[in-house]
Formats: sequence, structure tokens, C-alpha cells
Amino acid sequence: MKKIIGYVWMCLVSFPLYAQFNNEENPRGMNEGTLAGFGTSIVKDTYLSPFTYTGWGARIFNERMTLLRNPLFSRQQIISVDISSTRNPAENVSDFGAFVDYTFAYHRRIPAGTNLRLMPGAFAHLMGGFIYNTRNGNNPLSAKADIDLGLSAIALYTFNIRTSSIILRYQVEFPLGGIFFSPPYKSSYYEIFNEGNTSNIIALNSFHNKAALRNYLTIDIPVHRSTLRLGYLNCLYYSNTNYLETRILSNTFMLGWVKQFVLK
Amino acid sequence: MKHILIYPFCLIAAILFHGCEMLDEFNESPLYNFEACWKILDENYCFFEYKQIDWDAVHDKYVYQINESTNEQELFQLLSSMTQELQDGHVNVISKYFYSTYDGWFQNHPSNFNWGVMQNYYWSGEYAGDYNEIRYCRLGDNEQVGYIYYGSFSESILESELNKMFDTFKECKGLIIDVRDNGGGSLTNSDRFASRFFDKKTLCGYIQHKTGKGHQDFSNPYPLYLEPSHGDLWLKPVIILTNRRCFSATNNFVSKMKVLSNVQTLGGSTGGGSGFPFTSELPNGWRIRFSTSPILDVNKQHTEFGIEPDIPVTLSSDDTEKGRDTLIETAIQILLSADSSTL
Repeated sequence: MKKIIGYVWMCLVSFPLYAQFNNEENPRGMNEGTLAGFGTSIVKDTYLSPFTYTGWGARIFNERMTLLRNPLFSRQQIISVDISSTRNPAENVSDFGAFVDYTFAYHRRIPAGTNLRLMPGAFAHLMGGFIYNTRNGNNPLSAKADIDLGLSAIALYTFNIRTSSIILRYQVEFPLGGIFFSPPYKSSYYEIFNEGNTSNIIALNSFHNKAALRNYLTIDIPVHRSTLRLGYLNCLYYSNTNYLETRILSNTFMLGWVKQFVLK
Repeated sequence: MKHILIYPFCLIAAILFHGCEMLDEFNESPLYNFEACWKILDENYCFFEYKQIDWDAVHDKYVYQINESTNEQELFQLLSSMTQELQDGHVNVISKYFYSTYDGWFQNHPSNFNWGVMQNYYWSGEYAGDYNEIRYCRLGDNEQVGYIYYGSFSESILESELNKMFDTFKECKGLIIDVRDNGGGSLTNSDRFASRFFDKKTLCGYIQHKTGKGHQDFSNPYPLYLEPSHGDLWLKPVIILTNRRCFSATNNFVSKMKVLSNVQTLGGSTGGGSGFPFTSELPNGWRIRFSTSPILDVNKQHTEFGIEPDIPVTLSSDDTEKGRDTLIETAIQILLSADSSTL
């Protein structure tokens, strides 16, 4: 257990410190992928309704993976914008959701065989957005704002089909703790934002009141001089604080292109 | 290697399967919807203790009237009757075709308002103007009394329009604000209007919210202040005309204005409705609205059942036949008399 805690501590503290002070931070190469896609979305937010809404979602996903001069480490930055439109079980009310995510991560590159590379790491994550219910009067909107620190892991597997080198990648991320916005049970946004009663609207989060998981699967296929990326992104978000429960599950299938840069 | 790659897929499949468990089914079962309605109110409604309502007893009173053969209309009637036990105009059940509301807060009270008679004053007054639900003019001898009728706080008014209106009244000795039959609307609109009567930041009331599902789970009262508008202010005597149909945001407006020493209320009791309402829904898709946050007056007292006027006046039928509004006439007399200096 102590080893695990020690590893987590190392991930959270040593990587950013490494990035800040080591002059080998200067990158030597970058891989930027921009993808867009559609999928399903499931939303439950008890500030708005006790029921689960289902529908579709769309996402734009930009990822920069930078290989640092020290080949042991790489840096990852992800900006994701997603929107969703969901309906209640009776199909007579809609929720619209919009979220922006930014993830900043460092990974250590560990070769694990000829074609496989494992990359454990840590990340910081910012998320902001809202879910809007089209029918509610004084509680039409549930705002979301989260700041998290967490762990990330990537498995990269390279194989060849004829002369093409194909890269299969799986990444999983989950937060360990942070802070997030949550209104006290039935506190109205009128009381919070118009009248300024901001007490107890920020909650510390960890496994006792929040769980999130992002599974990301991609395959990079060379096409002429470019690289086509097919991706599947599964995001699960759960929070339960102040007797308010939020669950968001999205599955998105994405398609995009990857650009490679050699940096000097 | 194949085994390594299988694990992520298994994890994703497990998460997807977990997601399926979240789905709630559309359910039209009368009993299921009755229980859902009762539970939503049980966990969220804010006046159980104040009104001394035994909500468990209400459940037992109605649950035996329902069974799986109860049709949609019967279910609606039953939910409507159950929610009316809360005696709250902010509690509504809304289906595709029906809308239930509690009207006991204004029934069996004198109306104290005649729209046609009020129009006589408005159209005969000098400097008449109107903007959405607001009509204003100058009344009395030498048009020394300003008159504003604000019919609904659902309608917002621009600061420039308010400036124009108060500019009309700058030579007046007093002002009548008529909010009779104003059933409420947005607190933002009523606060914007009220801020024209305050020359400094003033404590006007308190708000609480539910912090949990228990009937007594409330936050500490949080003070509500009104700050003066940056536009033209009115600091001379004011009389607010009220009747029983002054509800919700209008009740709140009257409560806030009463903290001013130059303001008096005249007419009948307001209708109350001091709970800030939220909306939720039932498994069959019907909407339900209910009070969740009590707004208290400056003395931390509830105004849920209304605010008594400083000067009780009832509309006289003789006056109405003559096209005169008893409340407006009385207010003009007070404002023009020497006594108005005591306001």
C-alpha cells in the first residue's frame, strides 16, 4: 500500500517539478491529433430532474502528445469540447449539455517488449460546462466546474500490415481528488449569483463523492503521407454531494487526422 | 499480447453495462406516479413545519383512493387534491392537458380592484405613458400625485424607461404604486423597480434554502439587501395599493418596500407565496412545481400567507358604480394632505 501511495505521490509531484526545472523539457517531437465525432449520451442531474435523460452527443477533441528531449517522458495536452441533447424517459422534455475540458498530463515511457510501450502518468484536469433543462422554471440550469488531479496510463502497441506501421493506443484516466462546484441541495442560483450567498458551493472531491473515468482507444493508420486516426472515447462522470447526484456517460466514435512535428 | 488488449475492452464493456443500469423507464403506473409525486414534495417542499402539515397522514389519506385501474384524469385530480393540502399557490401539477393550482389564497377575499375603473384614472391622467405591463400618469389636484400601475413582474423594464417615468413625476408630492392583481414574476424585475426607492444599501429580508431532505433541514437565514439604482431615485412619500392577488414576487416587493419609512401600504392583504419555487417531474412526464426556499421579511418572519396593509381599505361598490376607485381616491387624499409628511 505504501508503494502505491508513494507512486501516486511521485506521479503528482515529481512530473510537474521535472517539467518545470529540467532543461531537458525542451521537446524534440510532437504529435497532434484533431478528431470529431458523434455518439450516445446519458445524463442524470437531480438538481434538474430525478430521472435519467438519454440522447446523442458530439465532440471535438484535440490532443497534443509531445516527446520530450529526455526520452523517458512525454507530455500530453487535451482540449475537448462536447455538446449533448438528451430526452427524459417520457420523451417530452430535453436537456442540453455543453462542456469544455482541458487535461495536462505527463507520462513516463516504459518499453515492454518489441512493439509495446506502457506509459503511466499523472494529470491535472479542468472542466466547465452546464446542463440546461428546457422546461424547468427557476432551476433550469446545472452548472459544472471541476479541477482534478489524477492518474493516467497509456498502452501503445505498434504492428505492421504490409509496409504500413499501425499504432493501437489505449488510455485510461481517473481523478484522485480535487474541488468542484456544487450548490447546496435546493439553493437557487438566484440566491447564489444574484444575492451572493456563495457559502458551501465548493466541495472537495475524492472517491467518497466523485468518480470519473475516461477510456480512450485509437488506431493510427498511415494514408499516403498523412495519418488517419479512428477513435473511441468513453467518459463516465459521477458525483454525489449535498444530496445532489450527477451521472454523465458518453460514448463517442471519432475520426480525424494526425500531424507530426519535429521540433528543434 | 492478446490478453493484454482484452482487458481494456472488458473494462469498457463493464462501464457500458453499468450505464444501462442508469436508465429509468417511462412509467405510467398511477401508484408509482403518486408515490413519486409524494416523495418529491416530501424531500423538497419547504413549509411543512411552518404550516404544520402531517405529510405522512396526507399520503395515507390519498393512497387508498388509487389503484392500477385509475385513469389519467382521475390520477391528475387525485394529485391535484393532494397538493392542495399544502395551501400554496406555488405548488402545481401540470400534465399535457391539465394544470392544477391552489386558489384558496385569493378566493373568498374581496377583489379590491376593478380594471375598468383603474383604466378611467389612467386615461384621464396627465402625462400618461405605458411600457409593457407598466402604465403611469399624474393624478389629483394640479396633477401632484404620480400613479404607476405595474401589472406583472414577469415584464422587465429598461432603466431608461424608468428614468423617463420618474422624470414625469419630479414635480409630484407623492407617488401611488398600484400592484393590485400583480401575480408576481421575476424577483430580478421587482428588485430592479424597488431599487429606485432606496438611497442606500438596505437590509430588506432573508432567504433560506433546504440543505437536506428532512422537513427541518434549512440553511441559516441569509440577509437580502437592496442597493440603490444608479438612475433617478424617488425618496418622497409612497403609497402601495395591494389586494389579495398580489402574489409571489409582488408579495416580496411589498415586503421589501415596507422597510422604508416613507412607504405605506393601502388596500387589502397581499396573497403571500413567499417560497421560491423549483420544478421537477414525475415518471409519466408530468411537471410538478413546489416551494423550496422560504423568503422571510426583515424581521425574519414568514409572509407565506400574505402581508396585512398599513391602511385597510375596501373598494366601495358605490364608488365603483360612479367610476371611482376607493383605494386610489384614499391614497390621493393621504398624499395631498398634511398627514403625508408623516409618511
